[in-house]
Amino acid sequence: MTDERGKTNTEQDEGLEKAPSRIDENPEERIIRALLDSFPTAVTDFKKLGAGIVRASVERRDLFKTCKFLRDSQGFEHLSMITAVEYESKFELVYHITSYQHRLLLELITTTPKEDPSVDSVSAIWGGANWQERESYDLMGIKFNNHPKLERILLPKDFMYHPLRKDFKG
Amino acid sequence: MAEMWINMGPQHPMTHGLWNLRIKVDGETIVDAEPEVGYLHRGIEKLCEDRTYTQIIPIADRLCYGSSLTWSHLYCLTVEDLMGIEVPPRAEYIRVAAIEMQRIASHLMWLAAYAVDLGLMLGFIYGMRDREVFIDLLQALSGSRLTYNFPRIGGVAHDVPPNFERDSLRACAFMEKKLDEYEDIYEGSKVFMLRNEGVGLLRKSDAMNLGVTGPPLRASGVKYDLRKDMPYSVYPEMDFEPVTHKDGDCYARFKVRMDEMRESCKIIRQAVTKMPKGKWRIVAPRNAPAGTGLGRVEDPRGEGVMYVVGDGTDKPYRLKIRSPIFVTVSAAPKMLIGYKVADVVAIMGGLDMCIGETDR
Amino acid sequence: MAVASAPRFDAQRFGVIYRSTPRQCDVLLVNGPVSKKLKPALRRLYDQMPEPKWVIAMGECAISGGPFYSSYSVVPGVDQFIPVDIYIPGCPARPEALIDGILKLQKMIKANKKGLLTGK
Repeated sequence: MTDERGKTNTEQDEGLEKAPSRIDENPEERIIRALLDSFPTAVTDFKKLGAGIVRASVERRDLFKTCKFLRDSQGFEHLSMITAVEYESKFELVYHITSYQHRLLLELITTTPKEDPSVDSVSAIWGGANWQERESYDLMGIKFNNHPKLERILLPKDFMYHPLRKDFKG
Repeated sequence: MAEMWINMGPQHPMTHGLWNLRIKVDGETIVDAEPEVGYLHRGIEKLCEDRTYTQIIPIADRLCYGSSLTWSHLYCLTVEDLMGIEVPPRAEYIRVAAIEMQRIASHLMWLAAYAVDLGLMLGFIYGMRDREVFIDLLQALSGSRLTYNFPRIGGVAHDVPPNFERDSLRACAFMEKKLDEYEDIYEGSKVFMLRNEGVGLLRKSDAMNLGVTGPPLRASGVKYDLRKDMPYSVYPEMDFEPVTHKDGDCYARFKVRMDEMRESCKIIRQAVTKMPKGKWRIVAPRNAPAGTGLGRVEDPRGEGVMYVVGDGTDKPYRLKIRSPIFVTVSAAPKMLIGYKVADVVAIMGGLDMCIGETDR
Repeated sequence: MAVASAPRFDAQRFGVIYRSTPRQCDVLLVNGPVSKKLKPALRRLYDQMPEPKWVIAMGECAISGGPFYSSYSVVPGVDQFIPVDIYIPGCPARPEALIDGILKLQKMIKANKKGLLTGK
C-alpha cells in the first residue's frame, strides 16, 4: 500500500517539477511536502536547520518504510551517519541521510523506550549502514532487527559491557 | 581446489596501522574478504564526555594523525554550530589555507606509502622530501609538525607568521612543478601501471549505496565534493573544480588524488592573497546551550561528520564522530572479490586507510 | 616514525633498518596507544623475538597512556607487560627525538654488553 502511495507521489512530484509553484521551488520544501504526503501520521516535527538541512521525527515502527521511500523515490542515495544518544527515559537514534542529486541532508530522529532499545535495521536499504549499526550495538547496546551479522566490531568479542551508556564508569 | 582463510595482519607490512584482513582464497583468487578493525580503539567518544569543550581540541587532532587539522577544524565547526558563533573572516581564510596545505601533506604521505608498497622506492623518497615543505609551513604557523592544536572555538590560536604569504606562494609553485614530474615517473613505470589499471573496480551504484565517500567515490564517477556542493567556511568564494574520473579502478583513485593536489594549490593561492585584515579569534562562552550541533567537512579521505549534544554545562553530553574510512573499509570486499592475492596491496592501499580515525 | 627514515632525517645512516617480522629484529619499537584488544598480540610479538632484544617506547601513549590514560580500553603504558629500555617522550615524538633515542640505545648497548633488563 505504501508503494502505491509512493508511486503516486512520484508522479505528483514530476507534475510539480514541470510547473514549480512558489512553495515547492526549493528542495527542502519539496522533501517536506513529499514526506507529509506519503506518511502523514508517521513523520512529524519538521524543522529547517540550515541551507539544505531538514530535521524530522519518525515513529520506530515506520522507520524501514520511510527509509525505503527516501532511497527509492526521493533520491537519497547515501546514509552518512547513525548516532545513538541515551537520555534518562529513552534512547534516541539520529539518522543523517544525504541526497547527492538534490544536495540535501535529512536528519531523521526516532526514539525507543529505555527497556527495549531495538529498531529495524536499514542495512538492506543502504549497505553502508551495516558497520555503523554494529558500532551502535557494540558501544551503546542498541539491537537492530534483521541485521545480517550483529556482532561487536571495535571492542574484544568477550567484552561484557556497553561503554557509552551513562551507567558505565571508566 | 581447497579454499582457505588467510590472515593478513594485524602486524603486516601492508597494513599501515593496526587492522586485520581475512581473505578466503581459492588458489590465488580471492573469494571472500572480511576486514577486522578495533585494535586501536581508544574510547574517544566516552573520553570527550569528561573534558571541557576546549580540552577536546587536542584529542580531536589525534583522531587521524595523518590529517589532523581537518579533524580539529571539524570539531570547532560543530561546536560553533551548537553555540551559534560567527567566526571572523580572517580566521576563516587562515583555516582554509592551513587545511589545504594539510590536504597536500596527507596526499603526499599516502603517495609515499603507496609507491613503496608497490615496489617504487623512489616514490617514497620524493614524496617524503617534498612533504617537508608543507610541514615546515604548518610548523611555522602552529608550532608543531603533526598534531597542531591550532583551531579554536571562535577562530584560530594565533595570527600567521611574517612572510607567510610569500612562503606559501613559493611552496605552491614548487609543488605544481613537482606534480608534473611525478606524473612522468609514475605513468612511465610499467610495473606501476600494470598493477593499477583495471584492478579493484568499484561500480558507481555500489559506491553510492555502500557509503563510500571521498576520492574513491569521485574516482567511480560521482561528482560530489562537500567543499563545492554543501560548502562551509569560505569555500563558496574559492574557485576550484572537484576532480572526478569515470573508471573506478586503482589508477582512477591515484589520478583523482594527484589532481586534487593541484586544485589545493589553487585554493591556497587564493586564500593567502585574499586574506582580509582583522581579528583572528573571538572568545567563545564557556558553557554551551542545550541543543545539537552538526558539522561536515571534506576530509582528504572522505566525508567527516560530527554531531554534538550540549546540555548547558561546559562538557558535551554526547559527541559522535563519523569516520570516512570506517565505512569505506566495509565496502572493501566488493573491490577485492575476483582479484588475486597480489592485488590486495594495491586495492587496500588505494583507499588511504588511517586507523586512528577508524577505531577512534 | 616513517619520516625518520625519509631523506631529511635519515635514520639509516646510524645503522637502523626497519623490518616487519619479529624473528629478524633486535629492537621492538612501540609507538602509539596500546589497546586491551592488542595486548595479547603484542606480548606474543615480544616473545617471538630472539635474544638479545631491547624495547623502545616512543610517544606519550606508549609510555603512560598519554591523553587517553583514563579511557576504558587503553593500557596505561606498555611497561605494564613488557620491559622497556628507552623512553622517548613527545606527543607526537619528533623524528630528531627518535634518532636521539636510538643513538642512546646504541651507547647503552656498548657500555653494558649483556643487554639491560633481560639480564642474559
